[in-house]
Amino acid sequence: MFRTLIDNGLRSGLRSLERVSAPATAHAHCDIPCGIYDPHLMQIAALSVVRMNQLIDALGDDAAKTKSSLSRYITVKEEHAEIVKRETRIIWGDYFKPDHLEKFPDLHQVTWDIMKLAGKNKQEVNAGAADELLAATQKFAEMFWASKGVATKKAPSNQAVGGELVVPA
Amino acid sequence: MLPAYAPGDRVLVYTWAYGHREPAIGDVVVLRDPEMSARWLVKRVAAAPDIDGRVTVLGDHAGSSRDSRAFGAVDASAIVGRVVWSSGDSSR
Repeated sequence: MFRTLIDNGLRSGLRSLERVSAPATAHAHCDIPCGIYDPHLMQIAALSVVRMNQLIDALGDDAAKTKSSLSRYITVKEEHAEIVKRETRIIWGDYFKPDHLEKFPDLHQVTWDIMKLAGKNKQEVNAGAADELLAATQKFAEMFWASKGVATKKAPSNQAVGGELVVPA
Repeated sequence: MLPAYAPGDRVLVYTWAYGHREPAIGDVVVLRDPEMSARWLVKRVAAAPDIDGRVTVLGDHAGSSRDSRAFGAVDASAIVGRVVWSSGDSSR
């Protein structure tokens, strides 16, 4: 009771004070002060999802071998779909600011598409969904670099999986 | 510094706290970021001043805190003061 009175008193006192003099901000978290963000990893992870679909598709008839390989491919597919989600969340949540929405009105939609597609890719073995996921991360990467005034191009991945990556031009 | 302090919490900082005693383990302090002096950080004292008067500070949320594990012990003069009250929900 007494503690609550003090808390409420201090809260309203500070609110009044804040009208006159804004409080300084003290940071508790980890923001790397130089702010390094890069949409490369989300695309690589999406490519890995594409690749796992290819490998699953190419599995042969040797039942014993197939069983083990299949479970490994599925594990990796799901792990990388999760990496796509994590990397997207960090850039969407930490890097992009409300001002960016004026220039990139699709930002939330593309982010949401990535989240949904990554989920779908966990649930299913579906090469089409994997390609859509990769395409969505490419769109996201284009917006990211454009927000920094950096021109981009689509470059071949030069990996067994094929596919392209959006990179600074 | 979750769960003790959440983004947006107001903290009241006693800037004369260390005029008459040294930072003690467990104190929550506001300090100047050693890598960016215009910026203030909230951290918890993990080790009292060593013989050079340097203090080790750590974030409560170890997995995502940049603290003495990254920038080493900090000079006691970098400490702005001790947090004595926070607007956060005390039940958190």
